[in-house]
Amino acid sequence: MAAPLVLVVLAAVTVRAALFRSSLAAFIAERVEVASPLSAWKRVVEGLALLDLGVSPYSGAIFHETPLIIYLFHFLIEYAEVVFMVTDVLTAVALYLAIQDFNKVVFKKQKLLIELDKYAPDVAELIQTPMEMHYIPLKVALFYLLNPYSVMSCVAKSTSAINNSVIAFFILATIKGSAFLSAVFLALATYQSLYPLTLFAPALLYLLQRQFIPVKLKSKSFWLYTMQYASLYLCSLVVIICLSFFLLNSWDFIPSVYGFILSVPDLTPNIGLFWYFFAEMFEHFSLFFICVFQINVFFYTIPLAIKLKEHPVFFMFVQIAIISIFKSYPTVGDVALYMAFLPVWSHLYRFLRNIFILSCVLIFCSFLFPVLWHLWIYAGSANSNFYYAITLTFNVGQILLISDYFYAFLRREYYLTHGLHLTRQDGTEAMLVLK
Amino acid sequence: VCTSRFWFNYRHVANTLSVYRSVKRLGIPDSHIVLMLADDMACNPRNPKPATVFSHKNMELNVYGDDVEVDYRSYEVTVENFLRVLTGRIPPSTPRSKRLLSDDRSNILIYMTGHGGNGFLKFQDSEEITNVELADAFEQMWQKRRYNELLFIIDTCQGASMYERFYSPNIMALASSQVGEDSLSHQPDLGIGVHLMDRYTFYVLEFLEEIHPASQTNMNDLFQVCPKSLCVSTPGHRTDLFQRDPQNVLITDFFGSVRKVEITEETVALDRDLAAFESKFPEDELATEPLKYAEQLPVAQIIHQKPKQKDWHPPGGFILGLWALIIMVFFKTYGIKHMKHVF
Repeated sequence: MAAPLVLVVLAAVTVRAALFRSSLAAFIAERVEVASPLSAWKRVVEGLALLDLGVSPYSGAIFHETPLIIYLFHFLIEYAEVVFMVTDVLTAVALYLAIQDFNKVVFKKQKLLIELDKYAPDVAELIQTPMEMHYIPLKVALFYLLNPYSVMSCVAKSTSAINNSVIAFFILATIKGSAFLSAVFLALATYQSLYPLTLFAPALLYLLQRQFIPVKLKSKSFWLYTMQYASLYLCSLVVIICLSFFLLNSWDFIPSVYGFILSVPDLTPNIGLFWYFFAEMFEHFSLFFICVFQINVFFYTIPLAIKLKEHPVFFMFVQIAIISIFKSYPTVGDVALYMAFLPVWSHLYRFLRNIFILSCVLIFCSFLFPVLWHLWIYAGSANSNFYYAITLTFNVGQILLISDYFYAFLRREYYLTHGLHLTRQDGTEAMLVLK
Repeated sequence: VCTSRFWFNYRHVANTLSVYRSVKRLGIPDSHIVLMLADDMACNPRNPKPATVFSHKNMELNVYGDDVEVDYRSYEVTVENFLRVLTGRIPPSTPRSKRLLSDDRSNILIYMTGHGGNGFLKFQDSEEITNVELADAFEQMWQKRRYNELLFIIDTCQGASMYERFYSPNIMALASSQVGEDSLSHQPDLGIGVHLMDRYTFYVLEFLEEIHPASQTNMNDLFQVCPKSLCVSTPGHRTDLFQRDPQNVLITDFFGSVRKVEITEETVALDRDLAAFESKFPEDELATEPLKYAEQLPVAQIIHQKPKQKDWHPPGGFILGLWALIIMVFFKTYGIKHMKHVF
């Protein structure tokens, strides 16, 4: 399986290199969909230039990257293009290895449940076979590398690629079962952008499953393991933050990075939902609505954890998608990450209800973003409402996609245990509905 | 300012022109008058006597003389232009005749007529100015020191409401009717076919015809003009913001341009002040040779300066800490046995 992967990697690198050398690179680099105030390359360069002039890069409201990024790019700024290509490749390889392992886990679990007779007799067609699962890791790597969204992020040198790679490594570490590494990478991901905090729950659930510790609130071993994992995570987070202090000898980076993410002062349009709302909000209410919007990101963790207790990797997928839809400064690079997972659940295709219309919505909106931006900013014949409409439609499309997959997943699980032909009490055919 | 258009509002134009005529007669030149007429009555196709605007029936007094200079005419009479004239916030291309070039020693007379209501005055049938806007405009004028004293006369229905909100000092206001009352017109002329003047301004005009530049008539007499028997509405006035006693305020302070001239027969020497001024600032004894341009800046020093290399390096402690952590993580994951390969 290594050879096709290498081929895919080479193809991806070629596409990116070709785009770097073309005139499109400058155009893509300034698109707001790709470069948000948190991830724009221009701002990284600005911050490093400020540092060379002897001023703290956090002193203006331009630079919102963490000190570790400063350290990374201080030495690698001339090779920036190569760095971003390597990052993308690393992400893809990490996802490939992770999904390979995950497939083995899925298959083992399936076998166990079949032997225990937990499945209904007529669900033979729903069970995943190794044949069809063989190419899934390659497809995942392919989906990530050749996704136009991630190609554009790479060409724009947006640091969301680095976010993605840290999360990919976190997923790899979790699936391999190493609690320590998973905690370290999760701490790095949280340190980088605040929202991967919510990935703590699926990682914990997965590791518990691997250790065969049942998730019961009264069980002592559950709490013990949770405490261990949580303490590993928190300690590494604290260590990384303290280490960042020593880079510039100041705590400036905390309000500049985390304060910025949480309080959303910069209302540059992007593909998210925050900017329009807060552009027209009265000062009086803005604190309240910031809290509401931020809680919205973290809110779905607990209910999803309760429902998807047995399926932590799917939970992780849904959680990553929720982060990239509801975070304060989303870019298409974040969207590319969860889209890379879609081949893993290709067996749910028969249960997806709206996939055609949703893919059309997402593709059309992606094409309409630059059109309406041009109409608004350059031609002057549209206004921000037009661009926001497309943003809204895009996000609604994404949300519907996720909920569609969620529904399909749960439906398949239900069919597996209750049989494909559901009947109501009086014998007529029944239909599963997600309430 | 006349704010109404259409032929049947002839009387408002006649009102404004009468006051214009009086102030011109009493000495104020056109350069100091801003006349705003919303419609042209003298040359209106319905005017049976073109080029005239009469103030009295039987065509006794033509207030549209030979030398009327209208500054804002027809559609230029808008609330915005009026407020801009008052506050001076005018685009730079405006000619002088359209500006109110007053300073803090100027006494200003503002006469407005038209159709009004409780708290507003209608401009041209399409917009209104409220008493609050007017009060704020006057406050702007006060803060910009655009007037010394201001006399505001308004002849509309419920005119007293327009001066209710004034809060700037040195304003005296007169109105033709109280809130809830209508100002009525004087008399129609059957030859022209419309009412020629409003009652209040008619009697004010009669009163002003008696004034000449040297008269000592004061404001209290103006307040008595047009009692209820003649005017049907009750004229009102407001003097609480005015610092001087109205008794001591001459009509000609506002309506005329009367200069105080003192004739003296003694000579005044101007030279002695100049000598005193010069003795304070002796000749500069320091510089004897003029400096050459090139020596004033140490250019040679500047251009040969090497730029300071202020490159930032991450502190050593940070690098050490970071790599130590990375190595620790690596060994924790993969086991200590790899250590011997490193060393």
